[in-house]
Amino acid sequence: MNALSFEGVSHAELVSVSTAFTPGTHVVLGSERDGTHTLVQLAAGVAPPSAGHVQLNGVAPFTSAATRRAVGSLCANEALPHARTVSAALALALRARADARSVTSVLGAAGLTRLAARRTSELTARETRAIALALALSHPKPHLLALHEPLSLVDLVREEFILEALSAAADSGVIVLASASGLEDASRLGGEAHALDRGIWLDSAHARLPALRATLRVQTPDPRRLAARLSEVPDIQGVSWAGASELLVHGSNLERLAHSVVSNARAEAIQISALRQELPALDALSAARASMARPTAPTRPE
Amino acid sequence: MNDARGGISVGMKLGFARLRGVSAPLSVVLACGAVFALSVLGRRAEPAGALDDLLAVPVFGLALPVLAYLVSERVCGGQRLDRGVDSVARHGADRRAAVLGLLLASAVSTALIAVLLTLTAVFTAHGAGSLLFDLRSSIGIALLGGAVYALWFGAASLLGKRGGGRKWALIADFILGAGNSALAAPCPRSHVRNLLGGEPVLEISQAHAWLALLAIGVVCVMLSATRTPE
Repeated sequence: MNALSFEGVSHAELVSVSTAFTPGTHVVLGSERDGTHTLVQLAAGVAPPSAGHVQLNGVAPFTSAATRRAVGSLCANEALPHARTVSAALALALRARADARSVTSVLGAAGLTRLAARRTSELTARETRAIALALALSHPKPHLLALHEPLSLVDLVREEFILEALSAAADSGVIVLASASGLEDASRLGGEAHALDRGIWLDSAHARLPALRATLRVQTPDPRRLAARLSEVPDIQGVSWAGASELLVHGSNLERLAHSVVSNARAEAIQISALRQELPALDALSAARASMARPTAPTRPE
Repeated sequence: MNDARGGISVGMKLGFARLRGVSAPLSVVLACGAVFALSVLGRRAEPAGALDDLLAVPVFGLALPVLAYLVSERVCGGQRLDRGVDSVARHGADRRAAVLGLLLASAVSTALIAVLLTLTAVFTAHGAGSLLFDLRSSIGIALLGGAVYALWFGAASLLGKRGGGRKWALIADFILGAGNSALAAPCPRSHVRNLLGGEPVLEISQAHAWLALLAIGVVCVMLSATRTPE
């Protein structure tokens, strides 16, 4: 069984991170400033940790070519191997991975064939990341997929393709370690949630969302009448107009809130065209988390 | 074994890819142009010794070390030698083998540049002696000298955060290599000078100078390989 472990790892933003990952999907919530990029780099063996140990199946990826060969990775800032065209650069990367597949099949699966003939110097940073993502997801037998914010590239690579590939990998015993800077991306990636907060690791128990107010974004052709009705419901703490035909409805329990909105709209014969949870911003979460007690989290040295 | 071969081949491809572009050939053409101009001037001043002077100072004393430094800088991508292969190592290439591939690309390129400079010098400043003899002896020195300079700068690139050791190796070669004491012995310049008929280091013969150059190259390769993680 594949296993990825961090033992007392301090490097760049990361402070004494000790954790282990088993096969399946693991989403690390946090921004690049929190150290998600560094976490992915260390897991993929792109850099050695300044202190502590990172091991994939008992071997440090930075010092073992065979271990790195079993890792598909996507970093925050990508650079393809030096070559004139994307096709030549990918051929070099595939050769380094001892992968006999063609560049066309790798790019074709991700819908990026149009980039094959482009000069690497003409690629944008996002296009380079998209190609690196295609390369990582095309890995035939990975032990680990370490991806920095893969869903930030959905405008270049189809979301279904990314999610299906990650799900298939997780189901076949691969450790999928993906970071997300937004809750929406984290919930779409699924799996076990962890978080990094200014370099401090919060495992799944501590990464649980703090008890913030639940908010629903309701789209209706008659927002005024629905707001008037909902303002009298005891489960609902507040209703605000979000512009056009949208209302933001606040409460303490998401399920009860949704039930109240739907039943009251039905009682007044008000049509609801869309209803979705409004996720809090990461900053709001960080602030809420900071106010929570963190007995096991190490403190950042002065 | 296959992994190592694959790594060397990937490293070589990476090294040659980094040398592509206009600036590298342009630098060589400019250097050859300068050698040509100096040979014309040298032949006017002293036709008999023009070739020896040209090979000793402008070609092997100045152009070769500087061009070898630039090639090494370019092949390493402006990084330390071991970090210069990061873009392929992260996909699974053996870093050590890829570094050897980079060194090989650098050595082949620098040796060819040295041969081009030498041919320019020999054909333009050749005096009364046998052209074939001049060509044979100077091309041998160019091939070995060029390759050893590449390996010397490659090993030095393992020092410093961004391979700053290269710069110090160039300075050391210019300053220490110019002497004939024990301090000059590790520098390629001192042995190349001996092979060209100049003052020997520690009174060693020309035959031993070949071996000394070879030894410097081997030590540099071994240092590069042992100081690079897999």
